[in-house]
Amino acid sequence: MLNYTLRRLMFTVPVLLFISFIIFIILDMAPNDPTGNLPMTIPPDVREKIRESLGLGQPLPVRYFKWCVQFFINEPLNIIDKMFDVCTWGCEDRLRVRSWATRSPVVDLIVERMPQTLWVVGMSYVVGIILAVPIGVISAYKQYSWFDQAGTFVSMVGFSVPSFFSGVLVIVIFSVQLGWFPSIYDTTLKVVDWDTFMMQIRQMVMPVMVLALQTTAQISRFMRASMLDNLNMDYVRTARAKGMKETTVLLVHVLRNSLIPVVTVIALGIPAIFGGAIITEAVFKVNGIGQLLIIGIQGADIPLVQTLTFIFAVLIVMFNLIADILYGILDPRIRYD
Amino acid sequence: MLDNGQKREKLVEVSDLKMHFPIYAGLFRKHVGDVKAVDGVSFDIFDGETLGLVGESGCGKSTCGRAVLRLYDITSGSVKIGGREIGATPQGDLRKMRPTMQMVFQDPQASLNPRMTVEGIIGEPLSEHTDLDRKGKLAKVHELMDAVGLNRAFSSRYPHEFSGGQRQRIGIARALALNPKFIVCDEPIAALDVSIQAQVVNLLEDLQKKLGLTYLFISHDLSMVRHIADRVAVMYLGKIVEVSPRDALYSDPLHPYTKALLSAVPEPDPDVTTDDRVILQGDVPSPSNPPKGCNFCTRCPAVMDICHENEPEFREVSPGRFVACHHHNETTN
Amino acid sequence: MKLKTLLLGAAAAVAMAPLAAQAERGSDGQLNIIYWQAVSILNPYLSGGSKDRDASALIIEPLVRYDPTGAMVPYLVDTIPTVANGGISEDLTSITWTLSEGILWSDGTALTAADVVFTAQYCMAEDGGCASATAFADVENVEAIDDRTVKVTFSKPKPFPYGPFVGNASPIIQAAQFADCLGAAAPNCTDANFGPIGTGPFMVSEFRANDTISYVANPNFRDSAKPAFASVTFKGGGDAAAAARAVLETGEFDYAWNMQVDPEVLSNMEAAGKGRVVSAFGTMVERMLVNLTDSTAAAGDARSTPEAGGHPYLADPAVRRALSMAIDRATLVEVGYGAAGKETCNVVPAPAIYASTANDWCLTQDIAGANALLDSAGWVDSNGDGIRDKDGVELSILYQTSTNAVRQDTQALVKQWWGEIGVETELRNIDAAVFFGSDPASPDTYQKFYADIEMYTNWFDGTDPETYMNSWTCGQIPGPDNGWQGNNMPRYCNADYDALVVKLSSTSALDERAAIIQTLNNMLMEAGAIIPLVHRGAVSAHANTLLGVDLNAWDSEMWNIADWTRGDM
Repeated sequence: MLNYTLRRLMFTVPVLLFISFIIFIILDMAPNDPTGNLPMTIPPDVREKIRESLGLGQPLPVRYFKWCVQFFINEPLNIIDKMFDVCTWGCEDRLRVRSWATRSPVVDLIVERMPQTLWVVGMSYVVGIILAVPIGVISAYKQYSWFDQAGTFVSMVGFSVPSFFSGVLVIVIFSVQLGWFPSIYDTTLKVVDWDTFMMQIRQMVMPVMVLALQTTAQISRFMRASMLDNLNMDYVRTARAKGMKETTVLLVHVLRNSLIPVVTVIALGIPAIFGGAIITEAVFKVNGIGQLLIIGIQGADIPLVQTLTFIFAVLIVMFNLIADILYGILDPRIRYD
Repeated sequence: MLDNGQKREKLVEVSDLKMHFPIYAGLFRKHVGDVKAVDGVSFDIFDGETLGLVGESGCGKSTCGRAVLRLYDITSGSVKIGGREIGATPQGDLRKMRPTMQMVFQDPQASLNPRMTVEGIIGEPLSEHTDLDRKGKLAKVHELMDAVGLNRAFSSRYPHEFSGGQRQRIGIARALALNPKFIVCDEPIAALDVSIQAQVVNLLEDLQKKLGLTYLFISHDLSMVRHIADRVAVMYLGKIVEVSPRDALYSDPLHPYTKALLSAVPEPDPDVTTDDRVILQGDVPSPSNPPKGCNFCTRCPAVMDICHENEPEFREVSPGRFVACHHHNETTN
Repeated sequence: MKLKTLLLGAAAAVAMAPLAAQAERGSDGQLNIIYWQAVSILNPYLSGGSKDRDASALIIEPLVRYDPTGAMVPYLVDTIPTVANGGISEDLTSITWTLSEGILWSDGTALTAADVVFTAQYCMAEDGGCASATAFADVENVEAIDDRTVKVTFSKPKPFPYGPFVGNASPIIQAAQFADCLGAAAPNCTDANFGPIGTGPFMVSEFRANDTISYVANPNFRDSAKPAFASVTFKGGGDAAAAARAVLETGEFDYAWNMQVDPEVLSNMEAAGKGRVVSAFGTMVERMLVNLTDSTAAAGDARSTPEAGGHPYLADPAVRRALSMAIDRATLVEVGYGAAGKETCNVVPAPAIYASTANDWCLTQDIAGANALLDSAGWVDSNGDGIRDKDGVELSILYQTSTNAVRQDTQALVKQWWGEIGVETELRNIDAAVFFGSDPASPDTYQKFYADIEMYTNWFDGTDPETYMNSWTCGQIPGPDNGWQGNNMPRYCNADYDALVVKLSSTSALDERAAIIQTLNNMLMEAGAIIPLVHRGAVSAHANTLLGVDLNAWDSEMWNIADWTRGDM
């Protein structure tokens, strides 16, 4: 297993480099312009100057090489400096990956966004899973019961209703009509006592629920399908023939086997948490990673988009590996050598 | 083997057992009919004997075996094991009685939980039904593994690491864990290589001698049944058509279906003429829509008019021999 | 209106201001502002986006701002230099500013002439990519005469020398803070760019790029009673409708910017009674640009340049006029803009002295007239396909604009009206970042103009349109030789127009300038090179409890935030 993991890790390096180059090429070919959203009153010659100051005058290989140096060498060095409060080689004038719109280091922007994204999107994922697993189990165990039908309906709603609709709907109901929850997420809120904690909970309720509905819809279907597969397996009959309690049969035999594919699906979904939820973040003004990405795309902020996309690529590659390893751990039939 | 028909105690008494599976169809999943997998079956199994249950694929023998052990909630009928009626007992109460009745399944691969070790699989019923401690449990597991001829060093391995024959031994060890009296062997050798089949059957016979077990041995392999069974029941389309002591059945089958089945058994001696082989025409009717009258009337080589009208009674035509056929009604009347 | 009267108005405005605010600094607590486009940076010299300029207007100030009437209001000076008061040299090549006494930066140090000089250096530095470079056009030298006096010298006579340090494009930044950030080093000063030290009513306490800014009142602000609010939260993100909802329906926010919301939706929200929608009109005009050169693909590399020759049918003035006549501008306003728009027939609709009335015929739709005009010009449907043609040329128009719901509504309406006069229209919309981007390799930019008609909004900063009028001179035609950089999208080229623009640059008397600008405007309108549609205003919403908002289209919307207070209607 260790050898397998190391071999896979080694293989990810060229894959990721290749991905980063492809991202760079694609973004370079995209016909948008970082000065495109500036007011029309800024004349073309000034725009040209702005573009030059952003380094757009240089040829593509040079820009790609610079980005690689900044991202793969300078940023890690900077993290080391920050963590240990030291100054490694060239810490004063080290070039970092800088956003064109804010002129600040992209990594700092991402770090600033992480808390709200992890809180809201991550929490919704947790809530979604906590709801989805029992729903899937009961739906499968009582297939075609009213509970199963209701679960199917809720899943269909979760799959088919887009968050820009459900999000605005809950805002209109719970913020405008009832006034229970704020419609705008306050990213500057710091939880220091019970009141601020309750405020944090209140502002998280709506975005978390909207997102959790989607997660629940997806994972409960997986769970249900996987449970149904296993419920009809012979070993379940064996367990019953052994005279095991029905809960033991269900939770120890069926659930544990059914969770194998579901855990993989859950692991593969984790990179999406870090990717944020572009639409839901915009609807509730959560301003996390998703909003950062969409602003970067709209404003043609190439370094920001390049870096974010690449980090997503790294996460996706990593979690694919983790999912594979998890599969090997959970399912004794699978061995990697 | 006990085959001399002395007065023995009945361990299992099954009468008029019915297991129907409902069919739902349409938008609102209306109940439109039933698959009558087991449709009024009666037989007894004596303590310590092996009853072979034979029939072609889909005739309901496996369902019958599972229904007897109440792995299904049966539609109607009565099942008595050791004198105790379990036909209508709720599953929760039944659980306590599971130790006395066990089952060996057909597919040793699918019937073992892939995520449990051998120790877990064999030991699980022990933790459920006994108060052995960890050590005691392990000792019992090792003892069972020895009994079925498995190396006890393999106790922490997973089922997929074993061969088919070894997996079936695990299945048997698991069935034996709680010292049952009655074991339903549901085609325990069908999924095994021929070379392994004999080993497993011999193991079952040895265990029966040693532990005084009673078997319901379900199989479509007539020669294997002939080898292991004391008495044989023949099933066709959800019903038992004939029950006879082994030798009587093989030498003088009464029911036309039994005759057809026996004539289909390959004859190892090429010199023996097989001219009198009975070849059945047509397919087995659907168990959701059985024919009127005798179930076998659509394919019976000796069919009479009455067969299309009345269902033949299942009756004892000579001591220890039961058959359901209009031909034999006349002889006895 | 002469400049003097403008100035008098300004003085009056300043005199009025103290009456409004009797409160103590910080007594009104917290103010919440929402901009649905999040603020990226607080250094307007590195951005140029109006959201970023507005957010920085709370902190850093120019010497002089414009008020909602377009008049100049002194902020960091006592008087506005004029030729009359000797502040502007007789030859119009220099202007001398004298800073007010005792103005402090928020860190407690004194504002000096050196800071003003540094600001100019900062924006004019090589490789700095200063977005406000236009404000410093033709500046030859900026020097400090003494601690409080700054002299700006121009390379040529400037009849309107109020470019540098006036309006929201060129606020004064602190020399001490930005000293190491000149030129190419500018982006590296993240702390300064995210938290400039200023003379304005507020200072930054926390800046979260593209998200939220927290401000607190500046303890060293020159008016000890202001600002009334102790702290401000400037939230970004979401969309215009959500921002409107937060102010008008839920009351979570006090002020929301740029309400680009369906007019009907907006008035429904306003009916909730928590806030109101306000608008102000500057010089923004949504217009169609008519391509006078051959824009067909057949023209090859010369496509959409004068070398390709005249446009197959738009070169005919009758066609251009007929297209304008067929449009019902009042409907466009009603459908797409509501309070945020007025129909207009001029490319220079304001200030009032520059607005011409000569083209008001366009205010009423005249389908019959347009049909008659095309008939008499020989454009008839000769082949019976429902589209007018002449000499084998069909009146089939490719009409492009940026992707935006209102613009697509406008396109659809126009297509229908043009259909009524026998003109076929193909609609096209392009993402704004591409359309307004200037990638010379992209065929979809507004400068390349590979279409017959295109539509967008343009305007000019401040109140003086001299540079703006210069846009439509022959030298400004975009083409391969200037990398498609140039403002003359219609490819309009008229020697008389160019001569008049030159004359404008040497005329200083306000009424003469007004006459020239009106003539230039009328020339463009009569030629039909530009078809103006809607005079667009800024629309914002504010809570009923927020007093003192005076929406300003000539400067930042936040221009008078020091005077905002909390109270009942």
